[in-house]
Amino acid sequence: MRKHILLLFSLALGFSFRASAQSFVENSQVNGSFQTDAQYYMLDEGIGITDLNGKKFGINGFGKVNYTNGNFSAGIRFEAFMPELNGFRSELNGVGLANFYANYDNGFIGMTVGDIYDQFGSGLVFRTYEEWSLGMDNALRGARVVLRPTEGVTLKGVYGRQRFFWAPYLERDMGNDDYRGIVRGVDAEWDLNQSIASLNESEFKMSLGGSFVSKKQADQSLFYYIPENVGAAAARINLGYGNFAFSTEYAYKINDPSAINNFIYKEGRALLSSLSYSQQGFGAVLQVKRVDNMSFKSMYTGKQNDLDINFIPPINYTHTHSLPSMYTYSTQPNGEMAAQFQVNYTIPKGTALGGKYGTKLAFNMSQVNDIVRDSVMDHGQMVLNKKGTLGYSSNFFAISDHRFFRDINFEVDKKISKDWHLTAQYINLYYDIETIEGHAGSPAVKANIGFMDVTYKINKRQSLRLELQGLWENEVHKGYEVEESEKKDYQKRGDWAFALLEYSINPHWSFSVADKWNYGNPVEEYRDHYFTGTVTYIHDASRVMLSAGRQSEGVVCVGGVCRTVPASSGVSLTVSTSF
Amino acid sequence: MKKIFSVFALTALLLAAVSCDKIDNPHKPYTPTGGNKTVLIKDFTGARCVNCPDAAETVHELQHRLGEDRVFIMSVHAGFLAQPLGQFPDFLTEEGTLWYGDNNSNPLFSVDHVALTEGNTLNVDQVDMPVSEALAEPQLFDINITNTYDEASRRLSVENLFNAKGDGDGEYYATVCLVEDSLVGWQTVSGGVNKEYVFRNVFRGTLNGADGELVANGAVFVDDSFAKTCSMELDSTYNADQCYIMTYIYDHQDGKILQTAVKKVK
Repeated sequence: MRKHILLLFSLALGFSFRASAQSFVENSQVNGSFQTDAQYYMLDEGIGITDLNGKKFGINGFGKVNYTNGNFSAGIRFEAFMPELNGFRSELNGVGLANFYANYDNGFIGMTVGDIYDQFGSGLVFRTYEEWSLGMDNALRGARVVLRPTEGVTLKGVYGRQRFFWAPYLERDMGNDDYRGIVRGVDAEWDLNQSIASLNESEFKMSLGGSFVSKKQADQSLFYYIPENVGAAAARINLGYGNFAFSTEYAYKINDPSAINNFIYKEGRALLSSLSYSQQGFGAVLQVKRVDNMSFKSMYTGKQNDLDINFIPPINYTHTHSLPSMYTYSTQPNGEMAAQFQVNYTIPKGTALGGKYGTKLAFNMSQVNDIVRDSVMDHGQMVLNKKGTLGYSSNFFAISDHRFFRDINFEVDKKISKDWHLTAQYINLYYDIETIEGHAGSPAVKANIGFMDVTYKINKRQSLRLELQGLWENEVHKGYEVEESEKKDYQKRGDWAFALLEYSINPHWSFSVADKWNYGNPVEEYRDHYFTGTVTYIHDASRVMLSAGRQSEGVVCVGGVCRTVPASSGVSLTVSTSF
Repeated sequence: MKKIFSVFALTALLLAAVSCDKIDNPHKPYTPTGGNKTVLIKDFTGARCVNCPDAAETVHELQHRLGEDRVFIMSVHAGFLAQPLGQFPDFLTEEGTLWYGDNNSNPLFSVDHVALTEGNTLNVDQVDMPVSEALAEPQLFDINITNTYDEASRRLSVENLFNAKGDGDGEYYATVCLVEDSLVGWQTVSGGVNKEYVFRNVFRGTLNGADGELVANGAVFVDDSFAKTCSMELDSTYNADQCYIMTYIYDHQDGKILQTAVKKVK
């Protein structure tokens, strides 16, 4: 009897498990992506690489898989840096499971445990994100709760500790070099158009939001009392009416002495505003930003691009071509006043200037200056930015004469005929290389840059693309005298020329050759050619790219966050796929 | 619904209330730990360096806070901004230039290191922690300086006695430096030139070379004792009343200074 009961129970369990497994599989969705970037380094005396420091090969790779089943989702991300490519932080060296998460969200409540990527408002007090090209990942490992108690209202809470390369997360396992605090935050957003029935269809749009984020890190300083709890708050509003949109966010941070701000005890402030207008064929946007002592990290001793709790959005044009992107602005969290204005206009088809296909015009101007800092009284003495003091005072509306960056550019994008397409841009650039890249004493880059990007469709499958670019510095060029001891600060200075020819056979193949020539460098030994040859094969969502040649010294910037790329020579391979 | 809002608002308020520490007096009282280990800060400076006076002030404040009998500062004029020009003083020395190496900016600092090399070249903001760490290190040697100074010949003779306070194994060298304090001259400062700037603890040269001389090679044991003598003739422009002898012993293999002692010439 007992045997029969057990048999029946086993059969019932097996049937129920099979049914549930079947439904589990049927409702499942799995997606993911993989990428491997590898480079073989070679000696190249021509560009000054006489020693590889024992590193002939670098490889960065990741694979991530996400699983979704109804309201449930989960994912993992595996990374390998064996060793890391040159220009990436050496702390990345390693292999392992970098991220994982599990999430349940039924519309009313959402809960996530594991590694969390999220952002409050524009990110002035909280943003966690991953950027592969920078080798940056500040994910918060912990928990998140999202509540949507009524239509249009979202309440959010996060709690955890940020990723710091491969460092352990448990406090007891951390050392002095990787000790970082806990981050906790709440955010509320109210979309009035969704909440209030009479506004549902209104042309007037409005949403309000507020955030509070705090980090808790033990005081480890021998000399100063470091606040163990540092709070930052932000309030935001988004308005829209017809073709107009306006958004602004103001953030405040209590005293947060850190290595970045030279251990001053001043509060931090930031303001970001944007006004835009758009209609068919025309768009304009004006943005302004003020940042004052707003670096916010979960490790107060950190000085590099890691463990940032917040994100200060850049308001500059993002250049993608080789020479225009050589001098990309990097956000200065200690203080900056910035403005950007952009207008886009499409000359309609069928007009004299618009031609058969229309002509797109774009004008952009952005400028960033320092803020004004005034001395403050400390123990009977006037001090400026001195450790262990309030540092300085700063008039909110005052703009310093010290200009960090200015970019004025004008672009024409024109489909000339069925077979020909042209993009041309002129850029006038001012770039304070001393502040942005730390080349002490180097004069600012004042340059004119132009490029022309022409595509010719040979037939339905084949096309040719030619890029011609030039960068002309106004002061630093062949005749400019450089002290022997300062030569290393001039590795990419002076005039440049760039040419690229690309032949594509759609949809699979692409072949290109390019040369970037620093012909006007004031230091003769730096007047080098950086030539590359590239073959790319694309199959559906998979891509294989093989290139060989030289890479010039420079910076890679994404969203105002930059990393330095040293000059190199060799062969590189990128393989990526997604499903 | 109202309950959810209330709970969320209460949580946010509570978080805000407990999550902000306002600090009114940032300075912590600090007592160096350890025994009698002393620390030498070399301040690589220049009379035409606009940021150097503030940096010098900062490290002197640090010295004042941590103990003037345990932290010593030597101003080594070296680099492009120390090159003599017009009325600016010439405090350049061969040894200082050698220690400065290929660097190209001022001010730079080393804490308990003979020379500026990769890994031990510090900005003024980075000096405090290495100093506090160095003060907490065990003391390997004690240095006892005795000297004679002959006014007529301006001959300075120095005997250094190095007593091992613990066991060690290294290539121990000692360098004997002459330092002159409170020199007055031109210095670039923020907004112009201070023509009566007081230069503190200016390095004038060594009595036994930039690398000094070998004291002991190999294992040393507690209570081992080594004596070294050297001498020099003071330059006629130096004010002997303001001159000091500064002796440090270091491991030649990594350039790390193990102990420093100071004594007035007169």
